[in-house]
Amino acid sequence: MAEDILEKVTKLYGRKRAVSEMDLVCREGQFLTIFGPTGAGKSTILKMIAGIEPITSGRILFNGKPVNDLPPQERNVSMAFESYNLYPHLNVYDNIAFPLRAPRWGLKLSAAEERRRVEEIANFLGIGELLERLPQHLSGGQKQRVSLSRALVRKPEVYLLDEPIAHLDARLKFSTQSLLKEFASKYRATIIYVTHDYREALALSDRIVVLRKGTIEQAGSPEEIYYTPVSDFVGRLIGEPSMNLMDGTVVEEGGKVLFVSGKSFRMPVQGSLVPALKKSAQSEGGSATARLGIRCEHIRLSRQKQSDTAFALPVYAVVHEAESTVVTFELEHTFFYARVRQESGFVDYKVAENLWLDFDQDSMFFFPKTIELSAKA
Amino acid sequence: MSRVDLDKVWKIYPRGNVIGVKDLTFTVNDKEFVAILGPSGGGKSSTLRMLAGLEEISRGEIRFDGKVVNGLGPAERNVALAFESYALYQRLSVYENIAFPLRARHLPKAEVHAKVTRIAELLDLTDLLKKFPSSLAGGQQQRVSLGRSFVRQPNLNLLDEPISHMDQRVRAEIRARIRHLHDEMGNTTVYVTHDQAEAVSLCDRLVIINKAELQQAGTVEEIWNRPANRFVAYFVGEPSMNFITVRAQGDASLEVQTAAGVKVLKLGGVLKEGYAGKDVTAGLRPQQLKVHRGVQQGNALPGIVRVVDFQGENTILTVSLGGKAEEAVITGGLRAVVAATERYVVGENVWLTIEPKLIHVFDGDAVILKR
Repeated sequence: MAEDILEKVTKLYGRKRAVSEMDLVCREGQFLTIFGPTGAGKSTILKMIAGIEPITSGRILFNGKPVNDLPPQERNVSMAFESYNLYPHLNVYDNIAFPLRAPRWGLKLSAAEERRRVEEIANFLGIGELLERLPQHLSGGQKQRVSLSRALVRKPEVYLLDEPIAHLDARLKFSTQSLLKEFASKYRATIIYVTHDYREALALSDRIVVLRKGTIEQAGSPEEIYYTPVSDFVGRLIGEPSMNLMDGTVVEEGGKVLFVSGKSFRMPVQGSLVPALKKSAQSEGGSATARLGIRCEHIRLSRQKQSDTAFALPVYAVVHEAESTVVTFELEHTFFYARVRQESGFVDYKVAENLWLDFDQDSMFFFPKTIELSAKA
Repeated sequence: MSRVDLDKVWKIYPRGNVIGVKDLTFTVNDKEFVAILGPSGGGKSSTLRMLAGLEEISRGEIRFDGKVVNGLGPAERNVALAFESYALYQRLSVYENIAFPLRARHLPKAEVHAKVTRIAELLDLTDLLKKFPSSLAGGQQQRVSLGRSFVRQPNLNLLDEPISHMDQRVRAEIRARIRHLHDEMGNTTVYVTHDQAEAVSLCDRLVIINKAELQQAGTVEEIWNRPANRFVAYFVGEPSMNFITVRAQGDASLEVQTAAGVKVLKLGGVLKEGYAGKDVTAGLRPQQLKVHRGVQQGNALPGIVRVVDFQGENTILTVSLGGKAEEAVITGGLRAVVAATERYVVGENVWLTIEPKLIHVFDGDAVILKR
């Protein structure tokens, strides 16, 4: 296993900048996830590390050695793609065994040892029964697990996994996620993982790099990314429903600082948050505007007014989940969501009923506006 | 806006004599929102197609408000459909797409206009009415498709996986809109999906179908707390129920093998006769297992944390009991959901506890615990 470093790596497609001066370190034994929306440059980075995609400028180092000029087969990496890229004429066993037979690595395994390794990984991923089948007789989810097995069967310097479980159904995704995590810790594998799914990113990674248009927006542990997002962009990427964002103006009144949005929303901001609010405020048409972010689980709902920062809104819709209920409100043409845990009693809120909303200010953020909010998709 | 009854409905495909739907009976009450939930290939789509009148009913009856509709086509049944693929008319504006089913019924212009305007308001499409589908984002197109299906108050609104392939941000929004529209218009809605989270979140009642047969029909609460069989117990809930092999001790407790010896779990009911001393399967929901650091007495199992999955709001632990109790879960261990503020590390010793009344017991697929 190796440490991998990108130094000021840039990738241009024609004039389009896919990746800009990227600095990235993946330590030996680390599970690093490159996370971001479609088109952020995630796969491009992975392909550059693999050597499939030439880099425009900068350096890539494995264990301190530049590999810029090495072709893919000379870089000791193992890769799984979202598109499975299986050999259609080989059965599942031979597909998985393929990298073990590659002359470059000179493994020269005995037939018995090869079978042991293939079966171990295939059983691990729950496809042990399918070894004799041809890819054309597999479902998408099964193909994807074959592709992942083929990537994991060998011990390279680094595993490069590009959305390797995107096509599994929700249930299987979940168990495969835990498996991957166990695999990583068992073999102390260095893994660079690409996903657009925040659940995978949070659950799997030692470290997450959030990508935005070819540059790093934030890097940190899953906890850091979740609890202290640096921007509305990062906040919005995580959670289902994702973080509520609302725009408002900053008003100072009688020594208090208020955040005001529309007619019904006037919230006094607690002292500890005022510096963050002022820092993120932008001047717009004569008044200071800012963007508030809060996750749906940090909004308390009640029929009575519980605090002087609470405000009332009519319910737009109520949807139940197994152990919680999500109540939707509409404010200034954007939706926002509040999640109520069922432990705190059965929820029988009705559509159009007026409820009091109380924001947990310790879990609230203020951001400069860096994304379009008209996310009315 | 009708009550819909399926009475012993069968779908048999003559070629290969394949049974698509077997002896299916359930009711959708007037103004109710029901989800038909099940894995793909289980018979959901055949049921939907028979409801819509797109497919012949082999045996049995479908009734709308007590009237048999077996022989009626989709138009005569007055059923509205929205599919996963939006199937919008590309050459028509958003306005005309939504107006289409009304025009097909030769409604007067003024009425068409009033209805289209109202539904556009509800779906926040007012600014888009003059645009054409090709210039809209996926979520917007789906809203147009929903508008078209909801615009004329049909007897029955059928939605076939309308949001399964949208990205999560849009999903929460469309979900809220669908529920809002249903409540606002007083429709009867049947929603077909393979996604249990989707079904649970939107619907008043679930109808769970697998292998062409009805597994259970009931409210979310009923299905969550009293699953009719192991399939239902497994299918609803994320992460799904843990299943472990245990031995029945008498008729009201279970013996569980752990690395620290045999532990006993008391049950909230009694087992059916003849299971004492036999191997059975216990079902424990990850959301209902409590995790403790200190030693626990009574309905407690000791184990070691093997995987820690941080999920943001909460964390999912995989806890190995170390005995031979583990099964079904590939990683070998029990999943338990804890608040993310509690930080556990891999290798840590923990105790899991569960209330007796929350334990499910199965023999094969069958529930064998009487409550």
